[in-house]
This record gives sequence, structure tokens and C-alpha cells, in this order.
Amino acid sequence: MRQSHLAVIVLSTVVLAARGQAQGALSLQGLGYPTGQLSARAEGTGGGAADFDALSLVTPASIAGVGSAALFFQYSPEFRRVTTASGTARTTTARFPLVAGVLPMGQTWTLGLSSSTFLDRSHETSLSREQIVGDTATDTVLVTERNRILGAINDVRLALAWSRTPVFRIGVGAHVFTGSNRILFQQLFPDSAKFLSTSQTGRISYAGFAGSLGIEYHPSRAIGFALSGRKGGDLRAQSGDTAIGSARLPDHYSASVVFEGITGVSISARAAHDAWSSLSSLSSSGIQAFDGWDTGIGLEAGGPRILQRIITVRAGARFRTLPFGLNGQKVSETSFAAGLGLPLTRERAALDFGLQRASRSAGSDIKERGFILSFGLRVSP
Amino acid sequence: MKLSSLLPRLLATAALFVSISSCTEKLDSSGTCPVLCPPIGGDVQNLTLDAVVLDTTVPALAGLGAEPSLLLAARGDTLETRVVIRFDSLPTTFTPAGDTARPISSVDSAYLQLRVDTLSIKGANPVTIEAYDVDTTANDTSTAAIVTLFRPDRFISSQTFVRADLKDTLKYYISNSAVLDKIRNNARFRIGLRATGPGSSQLRINSAEAGLTPALVFRATPDTATKPLTVSPRSKTPVEDAIVASHLTDYTVIVKAPPPAPPGVLAVGGWPPRRVYIRFDIPASIIDSATVVRATLLLNQIPNDALDPTDTVQLLPQVVLAGRVVTDPTKAAQIVGAISIDTLKLKPGDAGSANVELAGAFSLWRSQKPDTLPRAVTLRSVSEGNSPLELRFFSSEDIAALRPRLRISYTSRVPLGLP
Repeated sequence: MRQSHLAVIVLSTVVLAARGQAQGALSLQGLGYPTGQLSARAEGTGGGAADFDALSLVTPASIAGVGSAALFFQYSPEFRRVTTASGTARTTTARFPLVAGVLPMGQTWTLGLSSSTFLDRSHETSLSREQIVGDTATDTVLVTERNRILGAINDVRLALAWSRTPVFRIGVGAHVFTGSNRILFQQLFPDSAKFLSTSQTGRISYAGFAGSLGIEYHPSRAIGFALSGRKGGDLRAQSGDTAIGSARLPDHYSASVVFEGITGVSISARAAHDAWSSLSSLSSSGIQAFDGWDTGIGLEAGGPRILQRIITVRAGARFRTLPFGLNGQKVSETSFAAGLGLPLTRERAALDFGLQRASRSAGSDIKERGFILSFGLRVSP
Repeated sequence: MKLSSLLPRLLATAALFVSISSCTEKLDSSGTCPVLCPPIGGDVQNLTLDAVVLDTTVPALAGLGAEPSLLLAARGDTLETRVVIRFDSLPTTFTPAGDTARPISSVDSAYLQLRVDTLSIKGANPVTIEAYDVDTTANDTSTAAIVTLFRPDRFISSQTFVRADLKDTLKYYISNSAVLDKIRNNARFRIGLRATGPGSSQLRINSAEAGLTPALVFRATPDTATKPLTVSPRSKTPVEDAIVASHLTDYTVIVKAPPPAPPGVLAVGGWPPRRVYIRFDIPASIIDSATVVRATLLLNQIPNDALDPTDTVQLLPQVVLAGRVVTDPTKAAQIVGAISIDTLKLKPGDAGSANVELAGAFSLWRSQKPDTLPRAVTLRSVSEGNSPLELRFFSSEDIAALRPRLRISYTSRVPLGLP
């Protein structure tokens, strides 16, 4: 009899292990949402200017164009609305996706240390469902399953760039991917006199390495090109002292072009490819990851003068495939962005503001809309 | 192009407002469930086990007089109980107002002050309470010897109360001369109370164990300026056991009671009160590997029509905290902890299934190995020692369909981790 009990429990555990995790949004499938590692300025141009932006973390070469030493901090809350056949959810996610420090060393070398959110998994769901707990004829109760996951995988990069003239820049980066997911799972029962509500907590920590290389070439004042790549190493996941999975960090390649032939105007375009599918093995329930393109085009121009300062205005559009699918379908994201750049205190500080409207879909009737605000503050000490 | 100076201020204010409002995260996306958040925990498994390895009825309290109540009942052939209150030490002097102490030479307005639970009174007829001198040299715990002392030559006094007179603080006037006689002779004053009357009656008096001690009150002088003397019960015997002596300051004597539950039947309550001790053998795989969300002891009740079969008895399960070294169920049943404040309301005269919730015990058992803490519970009446009502259940000695069983509802632990 005891053996049969044990068998039932083991079987149940195996079945449960194959279940998907509750995520609550299209963009939060799998290991989470890729914030893009773009600065508020680059986001305002739909990502088009990212490979030429010293404060975005997609290429190490760009830090050579920083000019003066700079500290950069970004806050990007997302207001998301997800609509399904069962209802609508409105959420607010406060992200601090980027912090960076860039230090020119002499005339040619520039050092940068930065941390950015690579995959953000923070979400919370509650699901109520009827369960028979006790007598099969009379004891049907409403059980609420609450699932809360907080945390992200972050990309910490140490970059070194070389540039003798503005024509050519080259940089290399060493990346450490680190972070954790804190998980709380509760089953809440209505009557504490009869039932014991359950609570489980867990923590997964991640560790991985990657290297990146980028070049930037401006054959003339009117046009520039950039190429960059990041080669992923192993990414391991641990729960306590136990390794629970490993995968290759996705390789990333991008190519960009910028046109500055019109005075005061910069038009940029970028295409990047991420081999997200290499993360498929980092899943206990077989959630599929898809390789995807991230393309964007944007414009940046000198705008109106406010308080004696010229405001930079930006606009852009971006299309990309998110890494993790839903029910075997790719999740795509289309976003339109606008932004402002405001110099402060005699060019020693600058505030960038961006607004993105992102639409996500997975070929089903699930609709997801998000407004992402980005506030980036750059200070040159 | 210059904008007015107002616009940047408005923009800054709007940006500040949005920033502050977005600082508070709201991550809950439950509205999309279950489409985007399928169940994680799996279904609850329900399992019924013949897990009882020992079930027995044990005395609830630590002996005669340990009850929190004194039961004074005269219910014909069903139940008759009497109450004994011991005043083994009476004062011999008093201090008049504005004077010095002097010997007591008179007693006036002597009465017993009794705290009555008016909600428990049964019977609408007048009740006469008779007092007898029940002092004896017989064995302290020999109730049979006490019962024989309720005879005319031991009679002290009587007082009749109509139902409206039975208040929560009852003054039972007692013979002044009887009190004075005991004081003068420096004798023990042990009073036995007996209820009689034209009809059935039953009332519950709080005992010293309940913290509302009966008291003997009298005046040593007619002068009302002098405060009356108040004497608390005290028992000087048995000399060798102060705890038993403490219990015997006031106690209930059973003259007639319904027959006890037959052997092999589990009995809860009654007078003297009893408990049920049940020990389980629960597969370790359930406690260690699964998460128990509900546990129910399935009992089958035997109707007990002997006394107030339609009254309600509140059954309270408790977890036994006695370790494995305490092998005597009677002793183990005294070392208990609360599982829940929720009780199961049953009527003694009912029959059929009775489900006792034990989930709270599992939260303790999960953290303690069975080698340290046996998986045992007790079942007791909330009015243990306050009510003579008794619930009865089939035990594990009965046929399989009627035996106590344990139904456990559990979920398996969810592997928290990668998506």
C-alpha cells in the first residue's frame, strides 16, 4: 500500500514537472522579456542608432564616441495591457534596465563598465480553480494558485574601445551574465480551519560568459556603418547548489548604417539577429525559443529651443521577434517610438526621454500592448 | 523657435508624475488566466487510509476534583450528582471595626457564595439545595463514603430557589449555628450539597479550578460596620499530596450516572470526563514528499440517548505533544497542543459519520520525525468537566466499514525553477 502511495506521488511530480509556468503575458514567456539593452536615446530612434550610441550596450565600439567621461542611468517603466478571451490584465513593471560608466583614457582608448537587463522575468499571476479536496461528492473548493517570480538575467560588460579618429572605431567586450529569479508559489484555500494553504519558495541563479566585438566606420561625414557581434558561452542555472540546466548564450550579430547628410538630421537603420534558440534547453517544460531578427529605423533631429537649449527630437519604428514562443508560435513585437533629448547644465548632463508603444502578437487572439517610458540621465563629472 | 516658459514646466511636471506613479509595480496579470497562466499545482489527490494503530478512551483530567465545574444534578434515574466543598480551616478570631482582634463568639448571615453558569441550568421547576455535614475520616477520594453521609443526622440546612432566583452569583444561606459550632470546636467544615425538588434539575457551579472559588461568608458580629468574613475552601487532606488536596477543596460526587460506554467504544465527554487518544501510522512518503492540504479523521458515531441526546457537544481535536517516551496514552493525552479553534458540533443521540479536521496536526508533523513525535491526536469535548454529555464512536476494533479512518488530501510539490 505504501509503495502505491509513493508511486502516485512520484507520478504526480513527474506530470507537474512537464507543466508550463504561468507567465501572464506574451512578452514574458520562457526566461522573460528582452529589454533590448538600448539607451533611451536609441529606443527613441527605434533602435536604429543603437550601434552608434555610446550608452547602448549592443556594441563595444561605440563607447569610443562618448567624448567625455560619463555616467548613465536609465529608468524604464512599462505599462502593459494583455487581452485574452478570458479577460484583460493591466500591469506596471518598473525596470532599471541600464547603468553604465564610460571613461576615456587618453586620446585613443575608452573603457566602459555597464550592466543591463538581458531577460526580465518579473511577473505575478493568480488563478482560481475548483478542486475536490476530501469527499468527492461534497468537498469542492476554490483553490487560488498564486505564482510570483521576481528577477532577471543581467549582462555585465567590461568594454575597451580604440579610436584614433572619428572615422574608425573598434571595441571588444567581456560579458558576465548573472542574476536570479526568486519564485514564490502558493496554493491558498478558503477555510484555514479545514485546509492548509501551501507556500513554496525557490531561487534560480544564472551564470554565463560571452565576448563581443564591434567596429564602426565613417567613410565620410554623411554616412557611417557599424558591425558588431557577441559570441555566447555557456549559461548555467542553479538552484541552491544544484545545477538545474545549462544552455548556450545566444549569439548576436548586428549591422547598422547612419546617414547624416542633412544638417542637424541623423537617419539610422539597424538589423540584428539573435540566436535565441540556443536557450531552448534551459527549460523544464519544453518552451520553444526562436531565433529572431530585430530591425529598426529612426530619425534624430535638432528641434525646438526651450530655455535656451536645443531639444533633440527622435522618432523610430522597430520590429523584432521575441525569444520565447507561445504554444509553438513566435511572438513578434512591433513598436513605434518617439523621444526627446535635453541638454542640462552646460552640456555636463543630459536627459533623454523616450516613449514606445509596443504591440505583441503570437498569431492568436491574444493581444498585448505596452507603453514603455524611458528616462535616461547622463552625467559627465 | 521659442516656446513659452510654461510648456517646459508642464512637461517636467508630467514626466515627474508619470515617474512617480510607475514606481509602484503592479505585476499581477491574473486577468489573462487561464489562457496565459495554466494551472501549476496539479490536482489535489485524495487518499483514505486505515492509519489508526491505537485508539482508546482515557480519563480527561487528573483525578477527582480536577474539573473546572461542580455539577449539582437531580435528574431522576438518569443522573444524580452532589457537590462537596471543604473548609478545613475556619477563622477563630475577627477584628471589629476600630477595635483589636477578638475570638468569634457568634455567627450571623452565613452563606455560601456560589458562581453559577446560568446558561447551563436545566429544569424549570424550583430546586431545593440541601446542605449536609460530610466530614469524615474515610479515604479522601472515596465518593461512596461521602454519599452515605447525606442523611438526616448530618443535615445542616436547605434553601429553595425558583428558576428566577438562580443568578450567576448565588447566595446559599447556611445554618449559622453549624458554622459557629465548627469554629468553636476548631473542626473541619465540609459541606455536601444535594439538589432535590419536584422535577428534574441540573446546574453547574464554577469550581476553584475555574478560578471562581466558592466561598463561605458570615458576620462574626451583628455590627454592620464590621466587614463580613470571607473564607475560601481549603482541604488539609490528603496530607502527603498537596496537589490532590488542592483538587479536593471542591469536587463533584456521582451518585447515579448513565452506564459508561462499553469497552471498545470511543467516548468523549461524560462525567467524569474522558478523551479519546488516537495514534496513526502515516506513510512517511505522504508527509515528507507531498504537501498535505487537508486531513480528516472519519469517525462513525454511535447514538447515546442516555442524557440530553439532542443537546450539542463541541468536539475539539488536539495534537499530542508527548514524545515517544510517554508510552501511556492516558498521560500522553494530557500533553496536547491546539490544532484549530474550530470545533465539530455533534449531538450525542445522532448516528452516522463525523468528520474531524486534522490538517493543523500535519503542519507540526511535517517538521517533526515520528521517532520524536508520534502521530497522535486526542478528541475532547470543549465542555470537558463542565457537562455530563458524552459522544460515542466506533473504534478500530469494529468492522472495517465503521472503523476510524484517515482521509488525506495532498498535492505534490511543484518543481519551482526553469520555465
